[in-house]
Amino acid sequence: MIDLRLKIEPFPAVEPFVLRLRYDAASSEDDAILVDREAGRFEFDYNGFSLVVHAPDGMDLDGDVIMVLPGQGSAHRLVRAASPHNTFLVTEQCDQLCVMCSQPPKKHHADLFPQFLKAVELAPDRAYIGLSGGEPMLHREKMFSFLEVAAAARPDVRFHILTNGQHFEEADAGRLRGIGVERVLWGIPLYARSPEIHDEIVGKPGAFERLQCSLSNLMLAGASVELRTVVMRQNFSELPALANYICNRLPFISVWALMQMERIGYGRMNWASSFMDTSSDFSALKSAINTVCARGIEAALYNFPLCSVPQPYRHLAPSTISDWKRKYLGSCEGCGSRDACGGFFEWYKHDEGFRGISPL
Amino acid sequence: MNVFPLKFRQWDDGTFLFADDAGGFFRSDETFLTRYAKDMLTDDDFSFLEENGHVYRQVADYSFNAFMYRWAKRLYAPGDLDYVIFVPTLRCNLSCGYCQVSRVNENTPGFDWDETTLQATLKFLDSLKTTRMKVEFQGGEPLLRIDLLERVREFCRERFDEVEFVVCTNLHQLGTREWAFLSANDTYVSTSLDANASVHQRQRTITAERTAEFFGNLRRAIDILGPSKVSALPTLDVRNLPDPRSVIESFTSFEMRSIYLRPVNYQGFARKQFQALDSAVRWNAYHAEFIDAMIDYNWTANEPVEEYYFVHCLRRVLRSGHNGHTDLRNPNVLGQSYLVIDHDGVFYPTDEARMVTRIGRIDLSMGNVRTGFSSVTVDALNAEATNNLHPDCVHCSYQPFCGVDLIDDLSRYGRIDMPKHDTDFCRRHTHLFDKVFELIYSEDPKVRKSVAIWAGMPEYDPAIAKVHA
Repeated sequence: MIDLRLKIEPFPAVEPFVLRLRYDAASSEDDAILVDREAGRFEFDYNGFSLVVHAPDGMDLDGDVIMVLPGQGSAHRLVRAASPHNTFLVTEQCDQLCVMCSQPPKKHHADLFPQFLKAVELAPDRAYIGLSGGEPMLHREKMFSFLEVAAAARPDVRFHILTNGQHFEEADAGRLRGIGVERVLWGIPLYARSPEIHDEIVGKPGAFERLQCSLSNLMLAGASVELRTVVMRQNFSELPALANYICNRLPFISVWALMQMERIGYGRMNWASSFMDTSSDFSALKSAINTVCARGIEAALYNFPLCSVPQPYRHLAPSTISDWKRKYLGSCEGCGSRDACGGFFEWYKHDEGFRGISPL
Repeated sequence: MNVFPLKFRQWDDGTFLFADDAGGFFRSDETFLTRYAKDMLTDDDFSFLEENGHVYRQVADYSFNAFMYRWAKRLYAPGDLDYVIFVPTLRCNLSCGYCQVSRVNENTPGFDWDETTLQATLKFLDSLKTTRMKVEFQGGEPLLRIDLLERVREFCRERFDEVEFVVCTNLHQLGTREWAFLSANDTYVSTSLDANASVHQRQRTITAERTAEFFGNLRRAIDILGPSKVSALPTLDVRNLPDPRSVIESFTSFEMRSIYLRPVNYQGFARKQFQALDSAVRWNAYHAEFIDAMIDYNWTANEPVEEYYFVHCLRRVLRSGHNGHTDLRNPNVLGQSYLVIDHDGVFYPTDEARMVTRIGRIDLSMGNVRTGFSSVTVDALNAEATNNLHPDCVHCSYQPFCGVDLIDDLSRYGRIDMPKHDTDFCRRHTHLFDKVFELIYSEDPKVRKSVAIWAGMPEYDPAIAKVHA
């Protein structure tokens, strides 16, 4: 597991601030330049102040954008320049309570939009940045403004935003187009075609109906949507009906992501009642995938170890588990497909997991 | 609840195919048709129709908007011009009886781009907005003017971010310079392989020596360029059709697995030689036989084969927005996203338009690269290039999947207002879509295997073949 925080020596910060670590030359007043480096200790010069970061020797920090918080002994690595997996946690508040939630909501919210904006400005060329929560769109106005300013400042940067889709209005079309419909991919969960099952899974009555409304608004705006369906015992047999619904009602989506569960947060609490062992029964997934593929809608399997997927469907399972929370099992040692496989979540527990897998 | 209008077509087994304007379809029977026609639909009917996107409650509700999206997505909207077909010479070193392009003999002067035309063409390319460009070199035999090809390619590589070149060549008389040109990563070969060696010799190469030269060069092209960079079209004489299995065998022996069957086209010199005008019936029967032979082949083969245009039609049935083929679009707007520049610098909207003009049917030229566009005739045609409102098409279940080809109509009949079902285009496509639906609804595992491959599904699923009992 890769640590998303870096240990730093005490630094006189009065408010959260964002800076970029550079090894050679500064190209911005927000750059800190490496002046000394020895055995896990990196010393940077930041506008005349000394900033000391402790990190493993092999770690490449050049171009990383970090956030320093007052009184904290560690800095957040907001953007790791060498990684494609960079996500800003916008808020931990949420208005749904999904049974498999990997990041259960909290009441408190600390607003970091100015810091995120600075981080976008300092991000590497053509960065693809994730925004997640909680539910980021609980802060609709700030999110839209953030995206508008970021889009103007850095036309090359694109965003992947995870949202529950409960907060889009018809009137948002103009702002969505202004930000750029190609620039933002909205990752939105839909769990079942049946409103009752969907609402039960997300723990919010009326959520399905509101989601339909949002998705229709996004379609009319021309927005790009990645529809996300976590595959669970609760919705497994419903997947073919959901596929048909997507073909007829949501033909505009960019991709339908069928996702395996993450055993953390509520996902851990509800693992026994929710985890669907798709290595032992892939049937409903087959039908669902075939339906959308025939209709020209892209399907993808996220967080599925390759050996859990029948061969004809394996090309649909890219390596999606973020590098910092990915692991492989002991038995993966002899597997010929390991390089192409996303492996398992760090918190996956094999004795409660896939029964039907073995190295390829 | 309101039902989006359903069009229907009866099949040989008495059942009906129903389809709406957005291309949603299902199979049902005469009793459903009666209930639909008499406004006596049951709750079961409505629940089936609602689940499959055929109804809405009010204008602009979610179902309505989604239907609107699927309907709109089926329409072709031309993008920026990013595809050009160049005819740097009309001269050719073969003289095939069916030649579709009224070629001239290899030594005839005055049928090549001159320096002014070349310069004007490069200037024209330079003026385009696009950053991507696909150039197809046709002829005649374009490699007779390798010097022009080299200069165009060099210019495009400098000017555009992404480029692709296709050389339509007969693969004869290739020297070191020609092979070097064809070997570049951004350059593809398109050639003719008429069924098999004996047909190829009869229709194209005439002598055994030239036949051997062609097959030797084709083998070499596959070996050094790779099968993914070489494609071949078989042009078939409807009066003398080869056994489909021999065509499949001949193409797969060169690792070519996508075969685009084409009947001799009733244009150019072919018009004088073959009376192909009413060949649609014979061609349709042969085409169906060919698809069946491919299904048999795919049942046991490791690497499947496809008939390129049939797969295109199948995907157009199943998908919205599948507009990649210039011959099957609705509306079929011409002269915008791609263009032809002839040997004398004249613009044409398509290669067929060039031939129709050459045989004196109607002038479909769009100006000249040296003097600029003038598209009055093509603009007039474009205003008619849609099937949505055509009185013969509005009641056809296949309308959302189909297209329009006014240039083919002009070429064959000299007019665009023939009753559609009397046109070759309509007869061929009605047949093609009949075959597509026969396969989609087949319960034969052999058929289902090929349908899955051709439709891009990992495995066949009956969910694509909706039935309302």
